[in-house]
Amino acid sequence: MKKIKIRINNLNCFYKKKPVLKDLKGEMEEKAITTIIGPSGVGKTTLLMAINRLYESIPDCRVEGKVEIKLNTKYIDIHKLPVTDLRKKVGMVFQVPNPLPMSIFKNIAFPLKLSGIKDKEYIKEKVEQALKDAFLWDEVNDRLNDSALELSGGQQQRLCIARAMIMQPEVLLLDEPTSSLDMEAALKITELLKNLKGKCTLLVVSHYTSLTKEISDNVLTLKDGCLKITENSKIVDESSVAN
Amino acid sequence: MKPSIEKLAEKGFLFSALFSVSITILIFFFMVFFSFPLFKGGDIAKFFTLEWNPYESGFGIVPMMAGTGIIALLALLIATPFGIGCSALISVFSTGYFGRFLRKVVEFMTGIPTVIYGFVAIFLLVPFIREIFEKGTGMCVLSASIMLALLILPTIILFISNAFNAVPKNYLDAADSLGATPAQKLVYIIIPLAWKGIISALVLAAGRAVGDTLISLMIAGNALQIPKGLSDAARTLTAHIALIIASDYESPEFKSIFVCGLILFIFTTLIILALRLLGYLKILRNR
Repeated sequence: MKKIKIRINNLNCFYKKKPVLKDLKGEMEEKAITTIIGPSGVGKTTLLMAINRLYESIPDCRVEGKVEIKLNTKYIDIHKLPVTDLRKKVGMVFQVPNPLPMSIFKNIAFPLKLSGIKDKEYIKEKVEQALKDAFLWDEVNDRLNDSALELSGGQQQRLCIARAMIMQPEVLLLDEPTSSLDMEAALKITELLKNLKGKCTLLVVSHYTSLTKEISDNVLTLKDGCLKITENSKIVDESSVAN
Repeated sequence: MKPSIEKLAEKGFLFSALFSVSITILIFFFMVFFSFPLFKGGDIAKFFTLEWNPYESGFGIVPMMAGTGIIALLALLIATPFGIGCSALISVFSTGYFGRFLRKVVEFMTGIPTVIYGFVAIFLLVPFIREIFEKGTGMCVLSASIMLALLILPTIILFISNAFNAVPKNYLDAADSLGATPAQKLVYIIIPLAWKGIISALVLAAGRAVGDTLISLMIAGNALQIPKGLSDAARTLTAHIALIIASDYESPEFKSIFVCGLILFIFTTLIILALRLLGYLKILRNR
């Protein structure tokens, strides 16, 4: 039987007064890759932002309903957790890579700094491991003090994944992680995501059939405010997924 | 837009920029031109003495220079932390209705005439300071600095708040998604990225603090001495110019105010350069 990591019940989301998600229900499997597909503008990104409460930084965005996450065998309502603690357990990677304007090393070490960790040796070890896990170490180990903004788009995205993974989150949300990248960079991200499978629960929003088919354990289609399970074999071409 | 209109607009903007720069340079040469006769014969040293007694050729303006520097610096030291704190409240911690209301209040403060601040200070602050120190009239360095800080505070808040708001959203999203608290976002992301804006705010505020006449004239006490404590009265260069300008046009003291003006000009320029250098060093350190 599948272990469930996230349970969504009667989730409603509004921008100003306009409803984006209506009475949404769904479950996401633990330590698996669940991909969410659906037409543009249906609220896939909003759903991700509802799961780690990033919607709270959007003016006039309001969420009702219940999202529960399993932490140490118990399901906890995300609204009952301190938001900063929740976001350390539920990381997020955005569509466009967003490294901070600081060195590669400082970018990866940033979440540790936020958690008050000061042991330099420990930080160094963790940064190295995170970069190795993101297949980035060989490319940047001789220029860790260079600005992260000098990296290519694909490298920046892998850096963002490494940065999100350094605190070993229980869930990682990825919003179209390959859509702004070229084919080669997208392939590396695909490999990286496959490698993360089993380490944490991955929830990926994707428009790409190839990526969805290759990495997904479960596929959920978001349409007309409902999340429906879609079998991998039934995913059709890019256009029908995207539109 | 048509290329010809675009070129015309470009020339118009260039003319405006050159005109502004030329006016500043012309003012500098104007001050030098009128000060020059007083510097003739190696008499420049007489301005850099402690004694102001024009009837006995005492043109020392060092006390006024000290008064200007101390009052402006103290005003900046008081206003800067409040300015950064208030900007953080408006742009980071309270972005809702309260933040918007606070910003409106600050915008309103910029429109209050300086003389109103002076009146309020005379009736509220000066007696309060007099009671605290239990000596003097209460018209002193501290009173002037507090009021001047209040005067420059809206400039600092609005500029810093705008600099905070200009930090790209994707950096803030990144920090949010990693679980940063608003205070951590402010310290690690917003302030380092808004550093240039903070320096610009301080440059403008310093210029206003050094150049303001009315507050110092009304509540600094106008004593011709180098203040030795916060409760001592002092006279600033601007207040000195305002007090002397009513004297005879041909008198030596009237002519000496051009030297005061020139020194004020150089003083302001040095403060701006120092703040710019501070900003430049900070940027170099961040690289």
